[in-house]
Parts: sequence; C-alpha cells; structure tokens
Amino acid sequence: MLLLQPENLLIEKTFTKALAVGYVPMTLDRIVTDFDFTAYHISTPQEKTGILLSVAIKCWNDLVAHGTTELLDTIYSKYSAFLQILSEDNAEPGYNYSLYIQLDKANLATEEEKFTLIKDLSLLKRNSFAAPFLEAFKKYTELAEEQPADPNNIYGEDSATRSDGKVIALNYRDRESIFIKPSNDRVTVIFSTIFSDETDRVFSKIFLQEFSDARKRSIQKAPQVINSHHEIPLEIQSLEKENNDNKSYITFVLFPRHLSTEEVQWNTITQIGTFRSYFHYHIKIVKCYLHQRMRFRVQSFTKVLNRARREVSEEEHKAERKTASGRRFEQRN
Amino acid sequence: MSQSLKPYLTAVRHTLNAALCLENFSSQIVERHNYPEIENKKTKEILLNPMIISRNEKERVLIEPSINSVRVSIKIKQSDEIEGILVDKFTRFLTKRAETFFILRRVPIEGYDISFLITNVHNEDMLKNKLVDFIIEFMEDVDKEISEMKLFLNARARFVAETYLSTFD
Amino acid sequence: MASINTPAVVMDNGTGMTKLGFAGNDAPSWVIPTAIATRATGTSGKSTVSSKPSFLSTSGATGAGNSITGTSSPSPSLSSIKRDMADLDFYIGDEALEAAKGPGYSLHYPVRHGQIDNWDQMERFWETSIFKYLKCEPEDHYFLLTEPPLNPPENRENTAEIMFESFNCAGLYIAVQAVLALAASWTSSKVVDRTLTGTVVDSGDGVTHVIPVAEGYVIASAIKNIPLAGRDITSFIQTMLRERGEPNSSLKTAEEIKQKFCYVCPDIVKEFAKYDNNPEMFAKYMVDTVSDRKITVDVGYEGFLAPEIFFNPEIASSDFLTPLPQIVDTVIQASPIDVRKNLYKNIVLSGGSTMFKDFGRRLQRDLKTIVNERVALSESLSGAKSSGVQVQVISHKRQKNAVWFGGSLLAQTSEFKSYCHTKQDYEEYGPNIVRNFSLFNVPS
Repeated sequence: MLLLQPENLLIEKTFTKALAVGYVPMTLDRIVTDFDFTAYHISTPQEKTGILLSVAIKCWNDLVAHGTTELLDTIYSKYSAFLQILSEDNAEPGYNYSLYIQLDKANLATEEEKFTLIKDLSLLKRNSFAAPFLEAFKKYTELAEEQPADPNNIYGEDSATRSDGKVIALNYRDRESIFIKPSNDRVTVIFSTIFSDETDRVFSKIFLQEFSDARKRSIQKAPQVINSHHEIPLEIQSLEKENNDNKSYITFVLFPRHLSTEEVQWNTITQIGTFRSYFHYHIKIVKCYLHQRMRFRVQSFTKVLNRARREVSEEEHKAERKTASGRRFEQRN
Repeated sequence: MSQSLKPYLTAVRHTLNAALCLENFSSQIVERHNYPEIENKKTKEILLNPMIISRNEKERVLIEPSINSVRVSIKIKQSDEIEGILVDKFTRFLTKRAETFFILRRVPIEGYDISFLITNVHNEDMLKNKLVDFIIEFMEDVDKEISEMKLFLNARARFVAETYLSTFD
Repeated sequence: MASINTPAVVMDNGTGMTKLGFAGNDAPSWVIPTAIATRATGTSGKSTVSSKPSFLSTSGATGAGNSITGTSSPSPSLSSIKRDMADLDFYIGDEALEAAKGPGYSLHYPVRHGQIDNWDQMERFWETSIFKYLKCEPEDHYFLLTEPPLNPPENRENTAEIMFESFNCAGLYIAVQAVLALAASWTSSKVVDRTLTGTVVDSGDGVTHVIPVAEGYVIASAIKNIPLAGRDITSFIQTMLRERGEPNSSLKTAEEIKQKFCYVCPDIVKEFAKYDNNPEMFAKYMVDTVSDRKITVDVGYEGFLAPEIFFNPEIASSDFLTPLPQIVDTVIQASPIDVRKNLYKNIVLSGGSTMFKDFGRRLQRDLKTIVNERVALSESLSGAKSSGVQVQVISHKRQKNAVWFGGSLLAQTSEFKSYCHTKQDYEEYGPNIVRNFSLFNVPS
C-alpha cells in the first residue's frame, strides 16, 4: 500500500453491510479510530435499524471556529429524509458531531446513490477538516480579486504578497499543528510535526529533502514544499514563539492551479489532510524494509560462518583428544 | 572495490592468520577455570601486543591476541548522521542474534561498532582459514550493506515524495 | 502522554484467522485470514528466488541509475525506482486471497501452528493491519498481542523489536491466548468468581489444545494437543456427502452445513433411531450456484455425527483414538494436585469448533462420568468418604472470538496500561524486557 486512503474502511464496511439488500438489523456498539486522535462511535441506541455515527476530533473547537458545523450540515442535509444531524449540544456525549441514520426510511433507489452516501459517511473526518481550508481558499479568492497576482511571477518570488496576516491554526495533535495562511496569489499550509524517535528524525530529514526537491526535478505541477528543522517559518512566527520540542516544519505553498475549481480544491484538501499520516507511515515502512534486509544479511552471514565449521563426526571428535599417557576422554552421561 | 580497500583487507587477513594461533590454556589464577584470557587480562605474560589496522580515521580494526583467544573489533565507516544510525541499527540487530553467530561478542569494545571473540574452542571447531574468510567477508559486506541501505533510503524517499506530490494534479 | 485516552489495539493473529479491533468493543472490527499475497519474483526461474531476494540484486543498479536519470525526465526515474518498491506491493487478508487468484501474486501464511514463521511477511501484515484496516497511528495507541502457549521467548523479543523499532508503538502487552480465553468466560452467568484458574479447551481450524491455567500461569508440562479440529469435521462432512452421492459436495457446502446444522447429541444410537423414526428430521440445504440454479443437498446423520469425532475419534481418524473428555481428564490429572479441583470446576471453551450446540453439556457429562468412576474407586479402596469433585464446563456467547474478546476486556481496564511495557522501557532495558509481563490482578 502506497497511498493512505482518506476514507475510513470500517465505516464503509459497516454501512455497505447495513444498506445492502437483506440486511438483518443487529445491535451495534463499536469504537473505531482514525489518524490524529479521531474516534468514531457506531451504535444503535434505540431500535436496531437506527444507526448513530458520532465523531470526536481533537481540534474540534479550532475547526468549529472556521465553520465546520455549517459545512457538515450542508453536506449531510441532502440526506435529511432519513438522516438526522445532531450537532453541538445534541451530539452524543463525549463526541463532537453525530449523525443518526434510519435504515428503514432510507430508500435509495440506485446503487450509485448508496455508494455516494457511504462515501460521504466514510469521509466524515476529511469533511470535518475541510472547512478551515475552504475558508482560506475563499479568502484567497477575495484577496486575489483585490490585487491580482503578477502573471509573470508564477512562483511569487520577491513579490510583495498581500495578506491580512490572519493565520488559521489547527492544533490537530498534542504538540503538532496545521497553519493555513491565505494570500493574494497563494495559500500557505504549514505542518509542524515531532519525531519522538531519534532514528525517525534522521530519516525524516532525508524524506523532507526529497519532498522539497521533487518539485524542482520532475513534478512541476505540485505545490512547492519548503522544510525547516528548527527555525519557525516567518508566516507563523507570531503564533509559535519558540521551538522547544525539536519540531520540524513543512510548508506547502498551494498555487492558483491547486485552487482553481471546486473539484481541485477538494482534491487538494484530501491530499493535504493525509500528509502527516502518510509521512509517518512511510518512515515506519522504511524501517520494516530495513529489517527485512537485515534478516536476510543475518542469514547469509550465518551461512558463511557455518561453512567454516569443521565436519567432524562424534566418534572422531572423541578420538582426537587424548591425554599425555594416551588415554581418551570419555563423556560422562 | 576501491583502491585502499584491498590492501586494508589483506593486512587484516594476514594479521588474523598470524593471531589465530591458539591453544587450550587453563587459568593460572583460579583452579579448574579456563577463561578467554583476553577478556580478563589478569595474566600479563600470555597477552600479546594488540594491533590497530586503520584504513582511514573512520575505519579501523583492533586485533587483540592472547594465548587462547583473540578479540577482533571493527569500526565501521560512518561518514554522516544517516550512516551512523544505520550502522547502529545493523549492529544492534546482529548482536541481538549473537546466539547464531558463535564468535560474536554481545557488547562491542568501547570505540568500536562490533566485536568478535574467537577462542581456542572455536578454532578447534572451525577451520581457521574459513574463519578468517568470514571476518573479511563480513567487513566487506557490512560496508556494502550500509551504503546500499542508504541508497535505498534516498530512492524510497524520492519515490514517496514524488508519488505524494503527483496526487495534487 | 496523549495515548492515555485512545483505545488500545487488540490483535490476535491465529494460524487461520486474524482478529483485529479496539479494546472495549464487543467484537473484533476485522476478522481476516492471516494471509499475505506478495508479488511473485518474475518468471525468471525459482532457483534465483530462494538464493537472493530481488531487492538485493537490483537495488545497487537502480540506485546508480537514479542518480543519472534523476535530473532528466521524470518517467524513467519513477519506473526504475518502482522496481525497488516490491515491498509495498502486497495485499493481506481477503484481498490477498483475491489477488492470489490472478497471476503475479503468490499467497503465504506467515503464522504456522500458532507461531510466527516468517517475520518479513508478518511485519508487513501488521503494517497494513494497522495503517489500512485499523487506521491508527501506532505511536498513539497501546497494543495487546496474543501468543500461543509454549511460545519461545525469542519470538516475543522479535515481536517487540518490530512493534517498538518499526512502529514506535506507545506500549505493548503480549498475552497468552489461553489466559485471555479464561478472561472472556467472565461474561458467562455461570462464572461466579473471576479467577484466572481453569482448563481451556481451544479448538480452532487446525488443532485443538487443552491448556490448564493456574492463577494466570500456563501449566506448560500438562498441555495436550489433539490433531482433530474444524478442518477435520468439514472434511468428514464432505466425505459423507460424497459417499451418498449428493449433487454438490464442495468444501464450501460442507463448511456451511457444519455451521448451520451440526450439533452434539447425547447418544448416537438413540439419535440414529430418532432419525429413522422421524424422516422429517432430515434437513435440506439449498446451495446457490453461480448460474442461479438452486441445488438441494440433503443433510442427514452428519448433523450429529460430525461433531461426534471429538467424542468418538475412531469414526474419522485411525491414528488418533482418545476422546476429548479423556484428554481433558489426563491434562488435569497431570497438573499439580492443589489446583486440580479448580481446574475441573472451570473448564472454558474457546474457538469456532466448540460452537456446536450442546458441545459443553456433552463434554461435562462425559467428564463427570470419568471423574465419578475414579472417585468411587478411590472411596472403595481407601474406605474414606470423598468430598466430591465438581465438574463444570462453561460455554458462553463470545466463544468464537473468545481470545480476542478476552483481550478486549482486559485491555479496557484502567490498569492495563500500567502492565504494558512502553517504548521508553524498551529503549532503556532492551528487547529482553518483554520476556516478562506482570499478570493481571484479578479482582477477587
């Protein structure tokens, strides 16, 4: 597996089963997790045909401040015939946002419709994280209209970019954050991430270097990636005072081409959203691969060493050892 | 094979050939005991002069002979932080499996990455020239393995980065 | 640490099936075959495969190639690196079975006889389990893994090495499957005191174990294995279908008949008579074929005969002839004398092949007969009155995934994390720290 999927397989599986023909309703009560301390709870609180899907996200308060509730409401209200949205105080205790799906009322005619519903449900995490990005993208459009970017300066180098200096911060993990900053010709997304393990930290440097170089070398269409291991990027120096935790900062510069249409914007959000997990995932996989190599080496070394072993039968071995007077050693049993 | 590697390995081979001249030797201090003398170093007269063969400041081999045991310690080339980590990972992995390696010492001598302890028993069980071959082969392969791992790491990082970034299209 | 509030991950890697899920849930989130399909190394000949894995022979060449082509066009550099990505090209679980049907992939089972056999494959199996199926960052979660009884400590160390060094998981606990099965039985209403003393009869697909456990410790010397399990029952049914000349006698049909119709009867002779007197007892099973044609298969004596091979093995096997109750009795008699009473009192069933209706009741009855005979004999020999031995077989609803469920129960307790070894511990003391795990305190 190379890329991580943005949708949650378990939610997908549960609802594919529940919406299938001939589903026998049963009691559900499951906890499901996703990356970055996201937890789901799938349960049937009342009758067996009503499934409650609740989500808890660590940085929910940050997200709500940027319109997540409204966004989710628009996404899921199109299913209002059988899907009840329970947000804020109505949500299941301990969780931030709940959806109550009544299977018996769900009359989805085509497989297509079913598929879209399942997709929308399994992308709940991505949808929750989308709002701040969309807000930033909107701000960018406004700024771009006020002062269009210089078309000759596609990389925005040395130009006085305009922005009102507002940076959206999402503290999506304990000491790690996402910062989003819209300007008139770009949107900057900065991740801060921590590697607790020394090996990981060293490996991450190689990876980040390649992330920065990849664009220059081959993939010109990609966002520009800038990384710094210690220094806090200029954009967020007002928010991050000091870097005590040995954080790495990764800056993605999203250019107009990544924000042109709604479809492209959603793709950008989906991809950016999996970045941290993807990055950490691959560092772990590299270690798995190194383990494989080392196991192979151990095997080949043992083979060489075993070649050195003298092939002596037990009898010979005993016969060889004699005392000065010519007596043999007998093994005591 | 680079220019300086061959003479370096030849020197190690000859030294080992000379050093691996071991015989059974009972302890002169404790009755009925038989130590690898190079490990406890209590009987000075049966220890021979240790020798360092050095290819450059980063790669060297320390050979400490005695009457019934020889200790061979290898310092593996580590030119940067990544190689350092890889060498550390690799030697840790090997020493964890010391059981299968008979002559591998579980803890390397200070200042070195990996140590072998060859006693007269090993010398009796195994053919001396093959034993020397193993050490030489080990030294060659370790260097190769480390640089291959490093190459792999870079190739993988590049691939991972390119794959991720190309999804933005 | 942040990982305090996240649910622990419970993974039970069995020979046939792997159960994955989160602590606190009542059932594993995923039950998938412990199988991995890897890209077969070309058609260039099998001899090269065994001597050298592809990555070692190609990596040097491609590494050099990359540095040259890297600066020019993107396509050759990408494709040349791709050859190095063989370790990313694999599937696990159901997807593996699917992939192995096509060309290019070969199927492997990394767990053999309950123990991990191929660490390379297992490491990759875990990798995908965690990141794809469970979707969790191992740094944020504690892990509970299971091991079979008599697992060598080196295997534990290797497991810890992978879990801590590759995945950096926050904490790790490795529990013995039999102990978890005992814990799972606490949900049964018959269990009054929650002890970790009892005899576990664990029958899966490949092999049946009888394992005595005293206060959380497995009595290793008394363990007995029975080479009869789910697979044998299925093939027994299949043979019977074939002999009768049923229109469909595929393995799948036999498997479904086993799950839907089989039960344990108190007495075979009477059961035969019952069938002969009431022809309506013969059931019919509909097989759905690919071509939408329904085939009807009669289900007759195999309904009660198949599970009977546990109690009368001679009907199916010629080399193994000891009935299960006899084995259980031998196992308990081989255990220390001071725990025998408690072992008889708490016999716990676990695994899919113990799910037959009345399996527990029959085992209890047969075992009681054996025990009572012995008690009577010793009473007549010594003249003293025995205080009696209570025999109780406990079956419960969670039997099928008992090991996983027991893990889920224990891992959701508040003390669980204090029993785990953490990554810090591992780095401080090294891999041999996992040779010992403190046992769960049992509330008494």
